[in-house]
Amino acid sequence: MTHRLLLPALASVLLLASFLGGGPVRAADAPPGASSCTGCHASQRIPDSVIPRIAGRKASDIVQFMREYRSGAWPSSVMGRIAKGFDDQQIDAIAAWFAAQPE
Amino acid sequence: MATRRTFLKLTAAASLAVPSITSAQAGGRVVVVGGGFGGATAARMLKALEPKLTVTLVEPNPVFTACPFSNNVLAALREITQQQFGYDGVQKAGVVLAQTAATAVDASGKTVTLSDGSKLPYDRLVLSPGIDINWGALPGYDEAAAEKMPHAWKAGAQTVLLRQQLQAMDDGGLVVISSPANPFRCPPGPYERASLIAYWLKIWKPRSKLLILDSKDAFSKQRLFQNAWAQLYPGLIEWVSLSQGGKVTSVDPSTLTFVTDFARHKAAVGNVIPPQKAGAIAQQAGVADRTGWCPVEPVAFESTLRPGIHVIGDSAIMGGMPKSAFAANAQAKVCAAAVVELLAGRKPVDPILINTCYSLVAPDYGISVAGVYRPDKGVLADIPGAGGASPLEVVGGFRGQEALYASSWFKTITTEVFG
Repeated sequence: MTHRLLLPALASVLLLASFLGGGPVRAADAPPGASSCTGCHASQRIPDSVIPRIAGRKASDIVQFMREYRSGAWPSSVMGRIAKGFDDQQIDAIAAWFAAQPE
Repeated sequence: MATRRTFLKLTAAASLAVPSITSAQAGGRVVVVGGGFGGATAARMLKALEPKLTVTLVEPNPVFTACPFSNNVLAALREITQQQFGYDGVQKAGVVLAQTAATAVDASGKTVTLSDGSKLPYDRLVLSPGIDINWGALPGYDEAAAEKMPHAWKAGAQTVLLRQQLQAMDDGGLVVISSPANPFRCPPGPYERASLIAYWLKIWKPRSKLLILDSKDAFSKQRLFQNAWAQLYPGLIEWVSLSQGGKVTSVDPSTLTFVTDFARHKAAVGNVIPPQKAGAIAQQAGVADRTGWCPVEPVAFESTLRPGIHVIGDSAIMGGMPKSAFAANAQAKVCAAAVVELLAGRKPVDPILINTCYSLVAPDYGISVAGVYRPDKGVLADIPGAGGASPLEVVGGFRGQEALYASSWFKTITTEVFG
């Protein structure tokens, strides 16, 4: 169960992303909901954090995770509860915005 | 007819007006009062979104001491220095730091008075003063009493004092925590505190007991906490609800006694989590109502009592959102974006906000509550179907994973805000 919670696929991609560094995420024109995400998903690399970064991820990956969290198809601790607050359009907008941020 | 005197008056008025026109052309002036999770975030985000803004953060303390994870300090799992963060990062982000107290706000003249008497003009003001203890709301509990029965609800010297008292207590002593009626800072906080003190007592003073006297009949993540207490600390923690007579009506600091309608409880260590209200500057600025908290509209968090003043964080009435560091940070980002829009003459769009609060029941046992919020009928309302607490039944390493998420969240938010 633990290893599934760690989301190995997402984690490995983000590990790669974290090597590339990246600047702070700007909230200009961020769609509703996006700025709250950075409360956990940092705009910068955080040493020893188990929470993956999402800045610079492929939009289609973020959309897929959010939909699967929301439906419960992908198990999660807190993300399922959060994803249920967003409809498809809102998820698409947030995913596109994070995808456009520096990794 | 323009006399010399009126001419001088006019030039004086004109010269007063000039800086505001110039600075408006340069992006405008925003003053942020309070350098906690709300204010420091708002200041940084304002500057990041609109670099032409002059953003001044007014905060008298050179170092911020964070409340989240300060219960770990009580249980000797962390040191208070690990809770402390300076403002170098905030200044490097282009924010002007005024290391002094704001003593008054003139909402019509749009100025903030600082402790040296000087006035800071603003186009928009963001207040994020956090809580003040509502001294006098609980008979017997004043600032002197807090030296005997610490509240430790503003992290710092009070946290260290409570930890010292716990360490000096004889094994077998009774620790009493009183928890206030809603609303108050960090709704699950008293119960996380009870949990981590129990964790520490079980190891170091195993004959001791912990009593929670509550002015409520229900609390955040209640079943999760109570299930965990039964599992991890059987017989150690007793919770007395409001309807069971748990409401503390007065305290006697000279004997460390908590008085309820039905009993007197004499503690070996007494922790009074007292009634609270919005920070003093909010009261002074006229943005707090009779409840002691600040009503705001749910899009830009502008005061419904004083236009041009935004209030975020623990001091504001935020509908369904709890008073948490996560919420203050989320509100600050939304507020900053909205203030930039308003200064540019545009209308901010309706936001969506998220809150996530982790609590530790033991160092490797975490639980959480989350919510998603949007403006609805003039308040920030829970989006139905979203949010909620961790599941009651879990398998595998779920609680351990949430404990890891808790510490990762703390590292993340403190780096984002102060790093």
